[in-house]
Amino acid sequence: MKPIREDILEDMKNTCLTVSFELKKHFRMKRMVISFALAIGLPLIFYIVPRIWASFPDTAEEFARLNLSFVNLLIIISGSLFAGDAVVGEYEEKTGLLLFSTPQRHTTIFIGKYIGALVPTLAVVSIYYLTTSLEIIGIYGTGEITSEFFKSFLIALIYTSSAVSLIFFFSSVLKRKITSTLLGFFSLMMILPIVSSVLQFIVDVEPWYILTYTEGLITDVFVGAPPIGGGPGGQPGLFSPDFYVGISVMIIYTLVLFFLGVFIATRRRME
Amino acid sequence: MDDDCIIRTENLVKKFGEDVTAVDNVSFEIERGEVVGYLGPNGAGKTTTIKILTNLIEPTSGRACINGIDVNRYPKEALKDVGSLIGVPGVYGYLTPDEVLTYFGKVYRMSKEKIERRIEEVLELVNLSDWRHSKIESFSTGMERRLAIGKSIFHEPSILILDEPVLGLDPEGIREIRELIKSFQKKDVTVFLSSHLLDEVSKVCDSVIFLYDGKMIERDSVERIDQIMKQYRLIEVEFLDTLSESDLQKVRKIPVIDEVTKINQNKIRILKNEGDPASTADILRKVIDEDLDVISYSPMKSDLEDFYVSLLGKRGGAR
Repeated sequence: MKPIREDILEDMKNTCLTVSFELKKHFRMKRMVISFALAIGLPLIFYIVPRIWASFPDTAEEFARLNLSFVNLLIIISGSLFAGDAVVGEYEEKTGLLLFSTPQRHTTIFIGKYIGALVPTLAVVSIYYLTTSLEIIGIYGTGEITSEFFKSFLIALIYTSSAVSLIFFFSSVLKRKITSTLLGFFSLMMILPIVSSVLQFIVDVEPWYILTYTEGLITDVFVGAPPIGGGPGGQPGLFSPDFYVGISVMIIYTLVLFFLGVFIATRRRME
Repeated sequence: MDDDCIIRTENLVKKFGEDVTAVDNVSFEIERGEVVGYLGPNGAGKTTTIKILTNLIEPTSGRACINGIDVNRYPKEALKDVGSLIGVPGVYGYLTPDEVLTYFGKVYRMSKEKIERRIEEVLELVNLSDWRHSKIESFSTGMERRLAIGKSIFHEPSILILDEPVLGLDPEGIREIRELIKSFQKKDVTVFLSSHLLDEVSKVCDSVIFLYDGKMIERDSVERIDQIMKQYRLIEVEFLDTLSESDLQKVRKIPVIDEVTKINQNKIRILKNEGDPASTADILRKVIDEDLDVISYSPMKSDLEDFYVSLLGKRGGAR
C-alpha cells in the first residue's frame, strides 16, 4: 500500500483526469458552444433592443438589475446541460463498464464529474457578467461598475454551485439522462418557484429555505430598487430573501447535495 | 497466500434482493499464466462474478482478490495490472479511438510515448488503424467491440478478465480474438474468460470452471471435459407411428440409456451414458428389436445445457 500523501495525490490526479475528460465531452457535444452563445447572446438582447427600439434605463443599476434577472435562466440551462447526465450517463450508456473497472476510486471519478459540470457552468455565468459589464461600460461609463455588481456576481456563482449540486444529485439518483436533466431543469425553473410562490402568496410564509427563493439575492443586492425576488425572470413577492440566510441556504444546498450525490453515486453499482 | 495465485475468490456470494442469489458460495483460484474459462448458461452468474472481480459491484459476502489484494476494498491497487472487458460496454461515441485510449492510458499512468506507441499497436491489432481519428458514434457494433477489447489490453496488463469477448463479432473477428488470447498464453498473461460457448472456451483455455444457477459445479482441464463430453451424446429418433407410453417404457428399459425425452408424438431424444460409437449402434438395434418403426436416427453432440444437466445429475442435482 502507498503512503497516504502519495495516495491522495494520485486520487487528485484521477479527479483532474475526469474533469478534463468531462470538459472534452461537453465541448464535443456542443454544450460549451450553446451555453457560451447564450451567455453572450442573452445580455446582448438587453443592449440591442433598447438601442434600436427604445431607450436604456436611466441608471446603470437598473440596467444591471434588468439584465441579471435573466442570469438564473442561463444557470438552469447550463447546469442541466453540464450536470444532467454526469453520473447517470455512465450507467445508461454502459460506458461505466469501461470506466469503473479501472484502478480509480469511484469517489474520485464522481468528484471529477461534479467539478467537470460546475466549472463550465461557472464559466458561462462569468461570461454573462463580463458581457453585461462591458455593456454597462459602453452605455454608462467605467465608473458605473459598482461593488454591488461584483457582490451580485459572487452570489450568482454560489447559486450556480447549488443549482449544479441539485442537478448532479438527480443525476446520481435517477436512471435516465433525460429524466435527470428535465427534472433538474423544471425543479429550478418551475417546481421550486411554484412552491415558493404558494408559500408566499397563499400560506403567507417566507420560503427562506427554498433554493430558488434565495436566487432573488442576485438582483436584490442593487440598492435603491424594490426587490425582484422569487423565480426566474423575477416575480415580485411579499418577502425578499435575507442576505446572510440566503447565502447560507445556497451553501448548505451546495454541500449537502454534492456530498449526497457523490455518496449515492459511489454506492450505485453497475448491476 | 500462494505467490502464484493471481485471482482468488473465497466463498463469494452475491444476492439481489432477498430472493435472487446470482453467485452462491463460489471459490476458486487461478494461477499465474493460466487461461481459465468460466462457463455457464445465460443467468448462471458469470458476469456477476466478473463484475465483483472488477469492482463494479460488491459481494454480499466473501472476498475477491487479485494478486492477494481485496478488489472491493483496495480497487486502485488490485486493478492496476488488470485489463477487463465486461458485458457489452458503451464506448464514448463523441470521442475518437485515439482520444479514448489516450484517456485510459493516462488513467493507467502510461507515459506519452508509451500511449502513442500502444495506440498504434493496439489499433493495428484490432483492425481499427484507419479509424483512429474517426468518431466512435459512426462505428458498427463489431468495431465498438474491437475497440473495447483494445482498451482492455492497452496498458499491457498481466491479468485479463474478459466477459464474453467474442460477443457481437463476425467469424473473422472471433478467429482474431481467439488468436489474440492464445498469444497471451505465450506471454505468461493470466486470462479469466467467461463464455456460454464450451466450444469457444475449449479452443483457448487450459481449464474450465462450470457455473450453474450461481453455483460452481465443476472445475476441470479442457482435455478431461472433452472426454466427458464424448460420453454424453444425444440421439434424436423419429418413428413412423405415434409413440404410446408403453413404447416409451420399452425404450427407457434399454441398457446404456440414461434418459428419454419425448419431443413430439413420434419423436424422442435419448441421452446415453456411454460414449463409444458401438453403444449408438446397439441402441438402434434394440429399438428396432422392440418392433418400433424408426424413420430417422440422428446421433448429435450434446450442447452445454445437456452437459450441465448430466453434471448436475451425477452430483445429485444442484438444480
